[in-house]
Amino acid sequence: MWKTVLRRILIMIPQLLILSLLVFILAKMMPGDPFTGMINPNSDPKEIARLRQEYGLNDPVWVQYTRWLGNMFHGDLGQSYIQKVPVTSLIWDRAVNTFWLSLMTVVLTYVIAIPLGVTAGRHQDEWQDHGVQIFNYITFAVPPFVFYILGIWLFGFTLGWFPISGSVSADVNPGTLAYFWSRIYHLILPSILCALISTTTIVQYLRTGIVDNKVEDYVRTARSKGVPENVVFNKHILRNSLLPIAAFFGNTITGLLSGSMVIESVFSYPGMGKLFLDSIGQRDYTTLTALILLFGVLTLVGNLLSDIIMSIIDPRIRIK
Amino acid sequence: MKKVKLIGTLTLLSGVALTLAACGNSNSNNTSHPNFKESTPKKTIKDGGNVSVAVVADTPFTGIFNDELSTNNTDSEVMQYGDESLFATNNTYKYVKGGAADIKINKDAKTATITINPKVKWSDGQPLVAKDYEYAYEIIANKATHSQRYTSSLANLEGLEEYHDGKSNTISGIEMPDGENGRTVVLHFKEMKPGMTQSGNGYIWEAAAPYHYLKDVPFDKLISSNKIRKNPLFYGPYKVSKVVRGQSVSWVPNEHYYKGKPHLKKITASVITPASVAQSIKSNKFDVTQVSNSQWPNIKGAKGVNFIANIPLAYSYLGFKVGKWDAAKGENVMNKDAKMNNRSLRQAIAYGMNVDQVYKRYSSGLSFRIPTLIPKQFGDYFDKNVKGYTYNIKKGNELLDKAGYKKKGTYRVQPNGKPLTIRLAAMSGSKVQEPIIQNYIQQWKKMGLNVKLTGGRLMEMNSFYDKVQNDSKDVDMFIGAWSLSSEPSPQDLYGAKAPFNYSRFVTKENTDLLNDIDSQKAFNNSYRVKKFHQWQAYMDKEAYVVPVANSYNIYAINNKLTGYSLEPSKSMGGGFPNWYYVGYAK
Repeated sequence: MWKTVLRRILIMIPQLLILSLLVFILAKMMPGDPFTGMINPNSDPKEIARLRQEYGLNDPVWVQYTRWLGNMFHGDLGQSYIQKVPVTSLIWDRAVNTFWLSLMTVVLTYVIAIPLGVTAGRHQDEWQDHGVQIFNYITFAVPPFVFYILGIWLFGFTLGWFPISGSVSADVNPGTLAYFWSRIYHLILPSILCALISTTTIVQYLRTGIVDNKVEDYVRTARSKGVPENVVFNKHILRNSLLPIAAFFGNTITGLLSGSMVIESVFSYPGMGKLFLDSIGQRDYTTLTALILLFGVLTLVGNLLSDIIMSIIDPRIRIK
Repeated sequence: MKKVKLIGTLTLLSGVALTLAACGNSNSNNTSHPNFKESTPKKTIKDGGNVSVAVVADTPFTGIFNDELSTNNTDSEVMQYGDESLFATNNTYKYVKGGAADIKINKDAKTATITINPKVKWSDGQPLVAKDYEYAYEIIANKATHSQRYTSSLANLEGLEEYHDGKSNTISGIEMPDGENGRTVVLHFKEMKPGMTQSGNGYIWEAAAPYHYLKDVPFDKLISSNKIRKNPLFYGPYKVSKVVRGQSVSWVPNEHYYKGKPHLKKITASVITPASVAQSIKSNKFDVTQVSNSQWPNIKGAKGVNFIANIPLAYSYLGFKVGKWDAAKGENVMNKDAKMNNRSLRQAIAYGMNVDQVYKRYSSGLSFRIPTLIPKQFGDYFDKNVKGYTYNIKKGNELLDKAGYKKKGTYRVQPNGKPLTIRLAAMSGSKVQEPIIQNYIQQWKKMGLNVKLTGGRLMEMNSFYDKVQNDSKDVDMFIGAWSLSSEPSPQDLYGAKAPFNYSRFVTKENTDLLNDIDSQKAFNNSYRVKKFHQWQAYMDKEAYVVPVANSYNIYAINNKLTGYSLEPSKSMGGGFPNWYYVGYAK
């Protein structure tokens, strides 16, 4: 198995190279550049032209690409054109924010989805099941941004229970308990909203899994041996029904870092998704390419992790 | 300092273009022009209290707390509490005494003498000295800093170009008669310009940088250093107490402020998305919030706030492409045979725009037609006799008939018999932008003009300027916007050598008028005023560029606050109020 893992990692290198090349070319094809938005009668066009030259924006795309690639292998992802700080420091800043938001969201998603899925599967076609199904239809059908804006309107403005933007209050100092609490407080509303709307797939897989497994032979055997009903469900059925969910758990883990553009935009939460969106709008090439490359790595690693996880929890599956 | 706001122009511009939803003009009857004041009502102030300010922005702020290096509008907004301009102005932006420094222009000696008020201190208690002013020039002109503020106008200062090119280690045109730690600076210019008495003129830098604090940081590390990003120094009424990167900045009183101790205990400026503005105002989440004009109907009923507004130095305009930019020569070259190089055609198109109606319908009166390219706020320079183009299809038709644009079927053809299709480039923006542009196209159709959108739809800002700047052949006319400097000389926007003269028109008359406005004779103000009026009348007649509209810039202010004023004479620069005067009412 480890041989396979190693091979998969090696294949990633050409995959990422192709990805970076595509991204680089596409980014350069967008109209405008980081200096387009700086033009006005009080900036000297000659000076802007000089800066363009100095930053190498006038070189052919392939020259720019190889330069960028060379720097990247030295661990230098460049300086953000807009934020004027090294891209790595910028991404690190945002990644931490996104990580906490995503982690809280994922935990809440499972906490909400698993009981719902189990209930629905166990009480198939009863009122509990119908209730869960209706919940599922709603969360599936409502566009996330509508849901978030409704949430922010109700809990942020009308009831005033939660802050409406940012990741931390301006009044607290890092390192204090108040700071820690402020961070959590800013996470509650976005993560609950985000979790509620992300449960659909998990609930559905779980319900289907339980419904299918309920009539399997091993369940009948267990029951006929006199195993208590709760144990049958929690030990035998649930474990097997969780398999499909485990199948994308690897991506869930790496997804902790990629963030959500929608929720971060609605809440002005400075995370990776928002950074990605902003860097497109502002033509911040260095940040943009670095982010896409990172997202690419995360996806590939996520897939690999998922396969490894599957092979661990289900001994019948072996990576070949 | 005035310049600070300008640099972000395009963003602001697109903002203007977007929010220019609709407007009623004063001579169209029963317009519901909201009656805005520029200041909060006067009340007795007490000390203390916190103020929270919402900074409306799509993206987190960059946080470059330095006038010489910052390029971002949001940055100017979050640092307005401490970032005071060196010079005070009157309400038409002329330099006056009483600011952190006084400035005196001597035309004959070709100098400007700057005298720093001895009470002015940085927020760490160190005095503001002559070297701090020179240092600001060094930051701008030294290539290592990557500052985007170096311009040919600033290079009118003796020796600045040599310093910029690395040929000299000092700027020879900056003289400090009392030494580096003195309070006097004399600037020596190559040439004197009449605009030099006006703030925002671009020839004189209006900010200083704390040399004693920053001198240890190498120029190339300055922009990312913590001394600028996290713990910056200011000499304005408030000083930074904390920066949460991209999100918020807290300010506390600067006990060394030269006018005295400010009233508020703390000011916190936090970024919120434009989508939350209406709700934030209605639920009084913040004490100061900038209003998004497109959400006005939803906001205007809000309780507990005063709405105050000013009219920014900006306008949107319709420009006609009549030439090309010659990059090699660095000048505009007009094409006599260009499709749009026909005065009657341009005038007819201008008469076809029902600007008054459109803005009345779509902007609740927050945007309005403007008659000339010099805004009213410039006082005498504004020519009130120029009326601009009001909607008049009949007149438009007459002009076209007379000029030989005959109708063939639905549409007119060119005088030479070739079909006439006019391609209009316009920026996308708020939801009312599309109906407004489509409405103009319908009006033009009524006159038999076939106007098509470049690319078939409204363009995103970057694509728009890409096409307009590069004189794409898909653009015959375009609707853009400018935010102006507080020195009204139109040379940078409409001169023969101005790259921003996107119409690319060059006429002898225009060049002469613009040169007269900036000539030595124009040190005589009444001469300058006269030339400004002549230029506006000329531009109105020729219609290479037709002014379209401007809109109110509105703030919702907690009605317990007083002393908040957007009048230029009460400003600290950059169009922001002087926060020293702001406080809670007793």
